[in-house]
Amino acid sequence: MSDLLSSPAQQPITEMLDAATVQSIADDVWTSLVGDGEVLVPLPVPAPEVTVSAWVQITGRWCGAVVVTCDEATAVALTECLLRARPPAVIEQEDVDDALGELANVLGGNVKSLLPELSSLGLPQTGPIPPASRPEDLCRVDAQWRGQSLTITVQGATPAPHTERNEVPQ
Amino acid sequence: MKILVTDDSRVMRQIVIRTLRQAGYDDHEIIQAQDGLEALQMVGSEKPDLVLSDWNMPEMTGLECLEALRAAGSQVPFGFVTSEGSPEMREKAANAGALFLIAKPFTEETFREALDGVLA
Repeated sequence: MSDLLSSPAQQPITEMLDAATVQSIADDVWTSLVGDGEVLVPLPVPAPEVTVSAWVQITGRWCGAVVVTCDEATAVALTECLLRARPPAVIEQEDVDDALGELANVLGGNVKSLLPELSSLGLPQTGPIPPASRPEDLCRVDAQWRGQSLTITVQGATPAPHTERNEVPQ
Repeated sequence: MKILVTDDSRVMRQIVIRTLRQAGYDDHEIIQAQDGLEALQMVGSEKPDLVLSDWNMPEMTGLECLEALRAAGSQVPFGFVTSEGSPEMREKAANAGALFLIAKPFTEETFREALDGVLA
């Protein structure tokens, strides 16, 4: 996220969409991509200690990211569903990153379509969960899939530094 | 007929191919490209009858690929399968010469609606 800086006071995402809207998008994504009968239940369960995240950045009047976070085993299970893989199929780490990234990508594309201003979508990335900025610039869905924690956040980017403070003194 | 499926995500290519089969297009040959540049090259070498392409990809986007094809005189039928389905994106796609834009997430019914007129 270090290459994505928002303006110091961008309009908070919570003024443009709410958690119910994000959940609705996720419902469609789960039915279409994860599988018939697969449901993302909007009831939080305790978050795992170690998580993996995938996200896409949105750049425009509003700058931020759409992030999907779960534990590794859940990410592997999601990948198996997306690929309709059956045991003893071997799921490679590359496929897990790819699958989680595509979930973030499809969620991100649909979120972007709801923003009032034209913006652009970045390519999916995976890694440790990126930092959020202001709490009021964050829309969060804490849910569970197959009983395991899965979180979707639409979060504003880190505010841009004040350049006048960073100038080299004359 | 030969269909070129283009997406930088291998997982999404598999999903698109599976949906094509589920939608009834299971007697067509499917070939794959992982970005717009490879798709551009494969249109020349493989002569597909239809290109289904993601929009946002490294190396060359789907839109850049379509524009390069049309600039080179290729009129291969071209449709987008992308996570962004806003009116602005649809207008850009149509202006560049795309036949349709299927937004993700999609269903086999969405595929039929878009493809029946092309693959019939």
